[in-house]
Amino acid sequence: MEGDRIEEVRLVHSPVDEISHLALDIGGSLIKMVYFSTSREQPIDKTQINASRDSHAVSRSSKDGHLLNGRLYFLKFETSKINECLDFISSKQLHYRGLQHCGFPASDKNIIKLTFSTMVKATGGGAFKFADLFKEKLGISLDKVEEMSSLVSGANFLLKAVPSEAFTYVNGQRNYVQIDHNDLYPYLLVNIGSGVSMIKVDGDGKYERVSGTSVGGGTFWGLGKLLTKCKSFDDLLEMSHQGNNRVIDMLVGDIYGGMDYLKVPVHFLVTWEQIGLSSTAIASSFGKAVSENRELEEYRPEDVARSLLRMISNNIGQVSSHKLDFCESKGEAKAMFLRHEGFLGALGAFMNYQLVEEFPDTIHLAGEKNRNPLVGDLNDNGVIECCVQARPAVED
Amino acid sequence: MDGLRKDQSLVGATDNINEETNNITQKVISEGGEETMVPPVGNSIHRSSSRPQLDLSGAAIQGNFEERDPTILLPNQSDDISHLALDIGGSLIKLVYFSRHEDRVVNDKRKKSAKERFGVSNGNIRRTFPILGGRLHFVKFETAKINECLEFIHSKQLHRGDNDNAVIKATGGGAYKFADLFKEKLGVSIEKEDEMDCLVAGANFLLKAIRHEAFTHKEGHKEFVQIDHNDLYPYLLVNIGSGVSMIKVDGDGKFQRVSGTNVGGGTYWGLGRLLTKCKSFDELLELSQRGDNSSIDMLVGDIYGGLDYSKIGLSASTIASSFGKAISENKEIEDYRPEDISLSLLRMISYNIGQISYLTALQLGIKRIFFGGFFIRGHAYTMDTISFAIQFWSKGGAQAMFLRHEGFLGALGAFMSYEKHGLDDLMVHQLVERFPMGAPYTGGKIHGPPLGDLNEKISWMEKFVRKGIKITAPVPTASPRTTGLGGFEAPSSKGDTLRCDESNLNVGVLHLVPSLEVFPLLADPKTYEPNTIDLADPNELEYWFTVLSEHLPDLVDKAVASEGGTDDARRRGDAFARAFSAHLARLMEEPAAYGKLSLANLLELREECLREFNFFDAYSTIKHRENEASLAVLPDLLMELDGMSEETRLLTLIEGVLAANIFDWGSRACVDLYHKGTIIEIYRMSRKKMQRPWRVDDFDAFKERMGFGDKKHQRHKRALLFVDNSGADVVLGMLPLARELLRRGTEVVLVANSLPALNDVTAMELPEIVAEAAKHCDILRGAAEAGGLLMDAMINIQDSPREKSSSTPLMVVENGCGSPCIDLRQVSSELAAAAKDADLVILEGMGRALHTNYNARFKCDALKLAMVKNQRLAEKLIKGNIYDCVCRYEPAN
Repeated sequence: MEGDRIEEVRLVHSPVDEISHLALDIGGSLIKMVYFSTSREQPIDKTQINASRDSHAVSRSSKDGHLLNGRLYFLKFETSKINECLDFISSKQLHYRGLQHCGFPASDKNIIKLTFSTMVKATGGGAFKFADLFKEKLGISLDKVEEMSSLVSGANFLLKAVPSEAFTYVNGQRNYVQIDHNDLYPYLLVNIGSGVSMIKVDGDGKYERVSGTSVGGGTFWGLGKLLTKCKSFDDLLEMSHQGNNRVIDMLVGDIYGGMDYLKVPVHFLVTWEQIGLSSTAIASSFGKAVSENRELEEYRPEDVARSLLRMISNNIGQVSSHKLDFCESKGEAKAMFLRHEGFLGALGAFMNYQLVEEFPDTIHLAGEKNRNPLVGDLNDNGVIECCVQARPAVED
Repeated sequence: MDGLRKDQSLVGATDNINEETNNITQKVISEGGEETMVPPVGNSIHRSSSRPQLDLSGAAIQGNFEERDPTILLPNQSDDISHLALDIGGSLIKLVYFSRHEDRVVNDKRKKSAKERFGVSNGNIRRTFPILGGRLHFVKFETAKINECLEFIHSKQLHRGDNDNAVIKATGGGAYKFADLFKEKLGVSIEKEDEMDCLVAGANFLLKAIRHEAFTHKEGHKEFVQIDHNDLYPYLLVNIGSGVSMIKVDGDGKFQRVSGTNVGGGTYWGLGRLLTKCKSFDELLELSQRGDNSSIDMLVGDIYGGLDYSKIGLSASTIASSFGKAISENKEIEDYRPEDISLSLLRMISYNIGQISYLTALQLGIKRIFFGGFFIRGHAYTMDTISFAIQFWSKGGAQAMFLRHEGFLGALGAFMSYEKHGLDDLMVHQLVERFPMGAPYTGGKIHGPPLGDLNEKISWMEKFVRKGIKITAPVPTASPRTTGLGGFEAPSSKGDTLRCDESNLNVGVLHLVPSLEVFPLLADPKTYEPNTIDLADPNELEYWFTVLSEHLPDLVDKAVASEGGTDDARRRGDAFARAFSAHLARLMEEPAAYGKLSLANLLELREECLREFNFFDAYSTIKHRENEASLAVLPDLLMELDGMSEETRLLTLIEGVLAANIFDWGSRACVDLYHKGTIIEIYRMSRKKMQRPWRVDDFDAFKERMGFGDKKHQRHKRALLFVDNSGADVVLGMLPLARELLRRGTEVVLVANSLPALNDVTAMELPEIVAEAAKHCDILRGAAEAGGLLMDAMINIQDSPREKSSSTPLMVVENGCGSPCIDLRQVSSELAAAAKDADLVILEGMGRALHTNYNARFKCDALKLAMVKNQRLAEKLIKGNIYDCVCRYEPAN
């Protein structure tokens, strides 16, 4: 995806970066990559860190000895173009680096040498499907991390460690939500990938998949591609913003000849509004295409994309809303979005290295541009500054 | 209805193939078993001998039956009936209309006497049953062809009410949209009924009144669900139209729309149209039948490299993302098969609806979920997918139920809103559903111009056969593709000829018969199941289909002969054979197509089909001949019996009943026997072979009850004798037994069919037989006189009632059936009345005592007598052989 290349470019021009600790989430349509890189500055001495860390973190760091200051970078590739991903890893010589820095030379404090490991944490179905390919092309073994647990640990990390991670989206407005760590659980994690998983999270490692639907991002993109000939997900999304779903959706008013049908329940409209959609009740998505004698080509792709987006997001909202019954006050349930939405799995896989410190308050987003990008605006790199322990990643 | 009289010729020319062929005998039964065989002028001769009292409402029936449909003559109908209600949806117009038949001038003295005796009268019936007798028809049109609908209504004059300002109840969005059109073209006003009100009223009615309305559909298998009326509410009604409404129903008129989704039938059709360029919903649905969704859906296996994601129970064939594969491949829309697109779309939408329905039900704590609406159309894959979604998410705790009249909920509800038909009060036993000739081909959908007369119907049958149109299940079971999250492999398709819109094929014409009642002597009507053989067993099904098919040519010959063997009769006979074969083929392919299939239904269907082609009594000649032959030897037999001791006589009489039951034209084995000797020879030979113990032999218990044991027993007050065949069976078997009971002071009521079925004796024929027998027997004569059967000898029964005779009466009542079997949940009010004082029930013959009711329990003593004239049944039922006998006696408990 074009937007993500920015990251790559920057990395290329940052030769001093130490790129290490890569984790992958290889999904059906996208490969999400999270990797840690030291910043241009030299690794921060633990005393430096101490200044900005709580006592707990200090004790941990002193025990484990080494902390690296750096950034978590987030990158996406299309799964169908997996070679680009392989090339990227190869070009960063990540795997060779891993080989060179066999062991953990405690003597050298300035140059970070990572544990020798041909293992890369990976999750998603592709971790199974492409295991042989990684082995063959890069000599890397994919250490498979369970998908659901990755999602949960990724989300937990973000919600606890990253301020301004979660936001609501009402009437086109992003409102960041301060998460109370003591009142986080339980929450419903709706992971909209190609398909949609709904996971009730009760704590770290405590979760249950309670629902899901196959009508998800893959459906939006797949159907959208067929209907609009759009070349990329982003284009499709962009187009949908310019569309008008009334052209092709059958609205309640359409059926009743403009009369309002009063029996449409209000609570649905509320649900839709909560996830940022207008309250015009759709009676039947794409329903107008039935009665009108128009070919596909006679509809504006923008309108088609808009109807599609609304259909799918409405539906996800609805299926999710039914799973909120564990909330005591479900009337107040609201949909919140995560800025790193697409990277939960990859981040969770990364967490599985157990390198990242307890979530200190220091972790923050790098390159915050103080703007309110649209949901799904993937130009928002969301690079996270954090510290990782320089200790063996793989215990064996 | 004024219009009907004003314009008979128009109406007469516009009967439609989809309705029942209008035949007189059907009307008879639909009017509550008032047996008023109105003979069409041209056909009445053959019946005149057996039904001398039948020249009744001749005045009402005019003209040539071949040209004019007698059902249009409705002399006594009331004018305040609205005949039509509509549900005008976005793609289909559903129409429910009512047809009522004339209140015939009943001139049947026997019946009058019986009614009087048992305290049943027309007046009583009217008071007790305010519901109008008649038929409910279900038809539909495409909304795009609304003119066809208007023409249909006009040609049938369905819109003509009691005055010029007729009002038609209608629901659905089109009720608003097309109101002006109706006003302009038909001069009627549309009165709009709330859609949701109608849906709920329709669903409640169907669930309450129709026995096999709801069914589950899993992996291609349809199973009917017995609805407990006391435990029906609350239920979730999911109506899938363009959008989806989910309604929580708490009772009649008590409901609330609780949920819904905008992803419904309109989405399938709308998106499908854009993606495949299909021209119709049905075409799109048909395409899906040949689709493979794995080419376009992203499956778990696609992501996991063929592996399952077993941790959360997702198999490799589970769909991870609908249309997800369209992402990664560099393909244009043209590169995908429309079939695959249609299937992916259908699965996505059906599954989603199932899932949201379950979630909604779960949240509300509702156990039962019923699905209706035009989207489903009886489509196996759709239903399987919805079922699967519910099964999966509820972990097997909930199941989806579908309704046979799914598409007609709204129209039916609108019809009920007239509040004039009394449908609300209708009970299950007052409805009879019949599947007319066109059902296997067209169902309720109107194709082309309405058919006028029988002649056109025959031509229509011929045309279909010429075209070589195969009867296949309209929607074969789903193809072996993945269906849903959790993945399941559906059974393989039975064929790829798809006829969509099965739902109407599942819908017959509902006969409203207010006078039908539940037989009051059933021990437990709730658990009563008439059928002994379960046709759900494919082997049984195939066996009976083979039996019926093989018997067909012979039956056609008999039928044609009964109508004089004319060219016209032959043509009708062939058309009957085609129509019935079509039914059979349809049912063989999809046994549940007409509701839960039973042997009784199947046999009744055959009789109905004969009547549809104006064969009212195929065996009339044979019956007459055999009655005469048997009556000729009866005096000798009676003399022989009278020479015996009472105790010996009882055994001989029971032997006689069993022996005489061998005379059965429904049994191939017995037909072969007929060529081997005279009736009395066969009878005597047969009786000689009656060596006890019989295969099922409770004779001793019966004998004991009859007073030949140690204990003293009260004699029975009244016995109901359900008789079977004409000829020897009734004359040499049952009549002597009846005579014995009469002699002992027990009143006897002979219960016979209302309408002919095979060579079964009818209630209409019995008085004549009894009268003939009475010539040689004082006991019978006195009893028959007392029972009002010998009316020829009396001036007028009404003017000179019962006290004429002091003998124990012998009476005849009709059972309300026109089938060789009997479903005791639906019997004539006359029989129900006669049963009230009865303390002995004797069921005789295979159809009434074995195929049905073998396991029935009664409140009174019951004796079931039959000779098993079918090897398979003998093995199955009594672990015996052909010609084995059953004498099952069950005392009242």
